[in-house]
Amino acid sequence: MRDVLQASATFQPAVIEDIQAKADSGLYRIRGWGTLRERRWATFDDLTFLPCSLTRIPLEGYREKCSTRTVLGTRFARNPIELDIPVMITGMSWGALSYNAKVALARGARAVGSSNTTGDGGMLMAERENSRTLIYEVLPSRYGINIHHMRMADAIELTIGQGAKPGTGGLLLGSKVSDMIATQRDLPVGVDQRSPARHPDFLGPDDMIIKVEELREATDGRVPILIKMGASRVFDDVKLAAKAGADIIVVDGMEGGTGASPAILQEHTGIPTLAAVCEARAALEDIGLYGEVQLIIAGGIRDGVDAAKAIALGADAVYIGTAALIALNCNRPLYVEDYQKLGTEPHHCHHCHTGRCPVGITTQDTELMKRLDIEEGADRVANLMRAMTLEIQMLARACGKSDIHHLEPEDMAALSMEASAICGVPLAGTRKVFGR
Amino acid sequence: MAEITCGSRSTREINADIRKALAAGEREIIVREPGARHNLGVGILEPVRIRFAGSVGYYCAGLIDGPSIEITGSAGWGLAESMMSGEVVVRGSSGNGAAAAIRGGTVVIHGDAAARLGVSIKGGTVLVAGSCGYMAGFMGQKGRLVVCGDAGDAFADSLYETACFVGGRIQGLGTDAVVEAPTPEDIAWLDSTLAEYFPGAPRGKQFQKVVAGRKLWNFDKREWKVWQEAL
Ligand SMILES: Cc1cc2nc3c(=O)[nH]c(=O)nc-3n(C[C@H](O)[C@H](O)[C@H](O)COP(=O)(O)O)c2cc1C
Ligand code: SF4
Repeated sequence: MRDVLQASATFQPAVIEDIQAKADSGLYRIRGWGTLRERRWATFDDLTFLPCSLTRIPLEGYREKCSTRTVLGTRFARNPIELDIPVMITGMSWGALSYNAKVALARGARAVGSSNTTGDGGMLMAERENSRTLIYEVLPSRYGINIHHMRMADAIELTIGQGAKPGTGGLLLGSKVSDMIATQRDLPVGVDQRSPARHPDFLGPDDMIIKVEELREATDGRVPILIKMGASRVFDDVKLAAKAGADIIVVDGMEGGTGASPAILQEHTGIPTLAAVCEARAALEDIGLYGEVQLIIAGGIRDGVDAAKAIALGADAVYIGTAALIALNCNRPLYVEDYQKLGTEPHHCHHCHTGRCPVGITTQDTELMKRLDIEEGADRVANLMRAMTLEIQMLARACGKSDIHHLEPEDMAALSMEASAICGVPLAGTRKVFGR
Repeated sequence: MAEITCGSRSTREINADIRKALAAGEREIIVREPGARHNLGVGILEPVRIRFAGSVGYYCAGLIDGPSIEITGSAGWGLAESMMSGEVVVRGSSGNGAAAAIRGGTVVIHGDAAARLGVSIKGGTVLVAGSCGYMAGFMGQKGRLVVCGDAGDAFADSLYETACFVGGRIQGLGTDAVVEAPTPEDIAWLDSTLAEYFPGAPRGKQFQKVVAGRKLWNFDKREWKVWQEAL
């Protein structure tokens, strides 16, 4: 019988639920995670590597070295960041994340010689103590801004926007604005905290040049300055960020994760990560700074394959957020009844905004937080980062590279015309780059 | 007292000279011919007195903790932004975003302040003898903001817990800004503070107090109109 009942392809069950939820609340939907809808646009999956056969010679997997050392911030800073691997932990605020999650991520990154980043809530001292390389984020809200913390950092990230919600500010719903978080952010306990979209002390790219200089003065020119943006008009924005004096540019694609944002922004703003990396590289090439200004790509990076493809297209490193939380057991079938209390199930959860994370990651509730063991979590994060690095190396070796940073667009073919046109690589089975 | 003359040197060199003087134990420094350079006196963490004899550009005294800084001329954008403690006194006027995101200390402006004065203020005190432009106090979280003259449009928009005081006229209130009578404690505080910094200013009881109406603190569909304007 169900087979002959015809459901609307326009008003699908999720659409009906969305309309009715808004009819109840009078507010747009807010949730965590990032884009949920089916990705009908070109993604990293639309590319395949072309390993060596007769035209190229592969590296011997077990014997020949393939370097993963990653140096970022070589343009102006006296002390560039040196990482053992090109996979870094992105900025996620203490507030969006629990204390345990923050410390586990820091320790995990440290164990593999990589970095982690603070977030929209200032620095947690335990995070500094447990980090090898810590990047200090300066966001429009300036929550917890503290010059002493900035001086303890190994790099400063000036954030203009995020991929999940470019052009808008942060959001932390009242359930997560606990006593401690309120104190850290100078806010009343329990407010629905909305962060400003614009920095309080500069407006456009010209003022930003002076801002970047200020950050250098404040840190005596020692550490690299990153500029992070949500992927929007990437080609122009990257050029402006480079002109403003960025040592490193972070571009966060539309698939990028979030702790809480309006759902429509996650689904309908910004450009996909694949497109973003290509535009960013083209922009840096256009102004002759490709290679001099390093590029970090974020947004929906799941594994070493996505990372290797991003690197081949021009990134120097990738940031991971959601994947690292999944390593910490996000969406794992543990405490299933608590997922159900949120109206969801394991593998379908995107309820970080509620503050009731069943596995203790995105919560400020001390009982829930205990479910995340810091040591075990750090191990899991480190293991994921190790596995991703091995995946990147495996692909690089198969393509005959002794350094993962030698991967290039040439090492890939496109599986769709869109990807061919976006990435400038031939469509598999042809020698044609579409759109050229 | 150490004297530094800027001449044609870069900000980097001048700030390095300031740091050198601090390292040598100087506790009073005068910087001559600042020439409206940007980023002077940024990131100073020592309890020293520094006087800039002239006008300064953007972000002067930004990201400081502890010093007492005087600017005898006017200041550009982002004066004392994100300061944690100390005192910054401007004898002239200031550009946009003066005292943005400060977490403590006192910022004193003897002339006027342009737009977005004390935006995202998280603590401390901002005192303006003259008037201020639009959007002063926007998203103020804590601390006090005092304008002895007139306040521009969208004053005290989307506040959390900052208390704003205006001695003159308010051109327009921001979203969720509510005028209420200053308490006796407010008046006593205004009187003693203003007597210290601006002896000729109006008396405390002549000030209007503006605080958050708290309608934007948590979403409520009954307050849809307020949210429509705020977002
Ligand atoms: C829980 C959570 C909290 C986040 N908090 C911040 C933040 O405080 N500041 C920021 O710039 N980005 C924040 N982001 C965005 C990430 O830094 C990053 O841009 C994004 O997660 C990358 O996409 P991915 O999660 O798919 O890897 C957050 C993301 C998540 C998942
Ligand atoms: S399991 Fe926790 S971290 Fe993962 S989506 Fe759900 S609430 Fe967010």
